[in-house]
Amino acid sequence: MATSDEIMEALEDFKQQCNNNKRLRRMQRDWSKVLHFKATDTGDAFTMTVVEGEITKNETGTQGTPDVIIEADSETLCDMFWGDINPTQKYLKGEIKVKGSQEDIMRIDAITAIIWPEV
Amino acid sequence: MSVIDEILAEKDPEKIRQQTEHYYREHVNPFALRMFKNASLDIIEGKREGACVWDVSGQKYIDCVTGAGIFNVGRHNKDVVEALKKALDHYDMGGWISILRERALLAKKLADITPGNLKYSLFCCGGGEAIEVAVKLARGHTGKTEIICMENGYHGVTGFALPATGRDVYKKPFEPLAPGYTHVRFNDIQAVKDAINDDTAAVLLEPVQGEGGIRPADDQYLRQLRKLCDEKEILLIFDEVQTGFGRTGKMFCAEHSGVAPDIMVLAKSLSGGLYPISCAVFTEEISDFLMTHPFVIINSFGGTSLACLVALAAIEFIEKEGLPERARIMGERFMAGLHSLKAEYPEIVTDVRGKGLMLGIEFAEESIGPRMVYQLRKNGVITIYTFNNPKIIRIMPTLVIKEEEVDFVLEAINRSLKEVRAQEERFGQKGKGEGLKV
Repeated sequence: MATSDEIMEALEDFKQQCNNNKRLRRMQRDWSKVLHFKATDTGDAFTMTVVEGEITKNETGTQGTPDVIIEADSETLCDMFWGDINPTQKYLKGEIKVKGSQEDIMRIDAITAIIWPEV
Repeated sequence: MSVIDEILAEKDPEKIRQQTEHYYREHVNPFALRMFKNASLDIIEGKREGACVWDVSGQKYIDCVTGAGIFNVGRHNKDVVEALKKALDHYDMGGWISILRERALLAKKLADITPGNLKYSLFCCGGGEAIEVAVKLARGHTGKTEIICMENGYHGVTGFALPATGRDVYKKPFEPLAPGYTHVRFNDIQAVKDAINDDTAAVLLEPVQGEGGIRPADDQYLRQLRKLCDEKEILLIFDEVQTGFGRTGKMFCAEHSGVAPDIMVLAKSLSGGLYPISCAVFTEEISDFLMTHPFVIINSFGGTSLACLVALAAIEFIEKEGLPERARIMGERFMAGLHSLKAEYPEIVTDVRGKGLMLGIEFAEESIGPRMVYQLRKNGVITIYTFNNPKIIRIMPTLVIKEEEVDFVLEAINRSLKEVRAQEERFGQKGKGEGLKV
């Protein structure tokens, strides 16, 4: 089980990696979304705001109207933002639930593919 | 050793896989490869026969995607292969600025088997190109510009076809697109009436929406559309790229409603799964436009000698084997099984529908479509969710599928649904912690 602070730390690292990656910023420049993440075992929730491909903020709790909601246990969420797992494979095995459009799911996958190509 | 001998001589499945994936990653499309691998659809096709495909390591699958209707005559159909071999002994493609006997013979055959007064054919290579021809003919013939299309319709992704496709994800990155396309709700005659104006040239639709989620148009709606188009002197265009050549239990889906369009667009199975060809078939009245503009719709590789001979062989096979009737019978067998599964898994399966062997299963939520595709691969069946709606997976096998193969697919769906149900239960258990703090 991962704590709220651990997940936020992973989210902030993920933010840094995304925002510092020029290739990723160019690829995602037309992508502005609000994403909610929910840890099913601890009940913790987080909001990530993306504006034109830049992650502008990570917050605790669910803020604003989400375009995408991602649910998993806290450990899986943490692993996802540290790049320790392939989120799409977890999604296809039913271990991560994603509510949102298929295009947004592919965008998230593209981000992880660029940051962690070996995963 | 020639390059083809070298390719065919390599038998080591692991070497083939590694090389193919490496070159795909480096030179084709790394993200497509990643998506295929993630979705467990990273099958490198080896042998293909009948309803089945084997990967390079010899693992057998029943193909329920069939390129969205390319392989109606079966994978690597022997009769059509023989026709192509014979054709290659005699011909090359033929010059496009020539008169080709094979093109004339295929056009005559299409005039004979298509409904109503469809008489002339213009040939291209892919479905999108043939849609472009249909739009050009509609605009050229009527002198008007507006094309009424359907929300969630799919007509390809090329120039004049892309604006007709009813989903923004295909269009947004490439705007501005060709203007003059209006999208209305499918199966809603009033929506079409409301969209018609003095500049309307045509109404374009699929008789069964494929990528839109295997949604058949109501027969009554199609008859109303025909009447409305006649009254307003608007052309009616059917995109039968996926529904044509027996797929829905008739040679063409239009036959179910008794409605004949002014232009019918055909592709996919016209190719026999071997040689690309598509066409727009249209009435004599529309052909008047070509009298004054005979060389404005041209295509270097459209309707080559080889393609036309293959198409004639494919049509001959479809007629000889009675594939439309076979599709109807096998479709009924499928549908009976799918209804039973819907009753057994009501929390997962919300609808089953389709015509003939163009079938769709709709699930309670979007994530289940991709997850079912993943599970079905494990259970020996290749499927894919519909691109405009991932809640729905398509079941579109070859029309030569046998009874026992239908039953195999149904059992694979059953096993996959069981696994998805177990996943839901496991996920539910994990969620019974402290509740969400939102």
